[in-house]
Amino acid sequence: MSLHLSHLQAMLLFAVVISVAFGFLSRRPSMERLKYILWSLGLFLLIGIGIGWVMYPFSR
Amino acid sequence: MSEEAQGPIAEEAQAAAVDVIDPKRQKLALGIGFAGWMIPGLGHALQRMWGRAVACCLTVAALVFIGAGMRGNLFTSEGSDAFATLGYLADLGAGSFYFIAKALETNGPDVSRADGDYGTRFLAAAGVLNLLAALHAYEAARGRKA
Repeated sequence: MSLHLSHLQAMLLFAVVISVAFGFLSRRPSMERLKYILWSLGLFLLIGIGIGWVMYPFSR
Repeated sequence: MSEEAQGPIAEEAQAAAVDVIDPKRQKLALGIGFAGWMIPGLGHALQRMWGRAVACCLTVAALVFIGAGMRGNLFTSEGSDAFATLGYLADLGAGSFYFIAKALETNGPDVSRADGDYGTRFLAAAGVLNLLAALHAYEAARGRKA
């Protein structure tokens, strides 16, 4: 079995899976869960892409 | 006046009552925590928290499947340094899924490319996430979380 993902795809998958787990573990009503999942996913992506841009000048 | 005087004392007594847990319930909570660690989601399933049980099982399984698919490094007990030992502890957190990951990685790890490096993180995240879920199930069984 071999899976090839780009950096962005790997980050997106990781963010989605972890956000869903956090949402289900920490919130109870469905609406609260959904809000938390979206909030967590947004932060994951924002911070991940932000750190990527901060590191960009040192990449070469 | 008497209410004011008894207020803090009553609160302390209430807090102490919450801290004192029936030993039987404590043992049951430990069993539930252990079950949740061995089979992701089982700790919640035993408490009829179906949504959380399914979410824990599927998310840990997804992380293990992706991590093994990307040929991440699955640490063993024969680690040569502290990082390898910590990696092993993190990987072992996935419980029985650690062995599934091992079975899925028929070609062994390949960390010469970014894929394999990411895979290693996915596998470690699966273990740590499962430990968190098992701890949550344990706390719920003790009556501390809903």
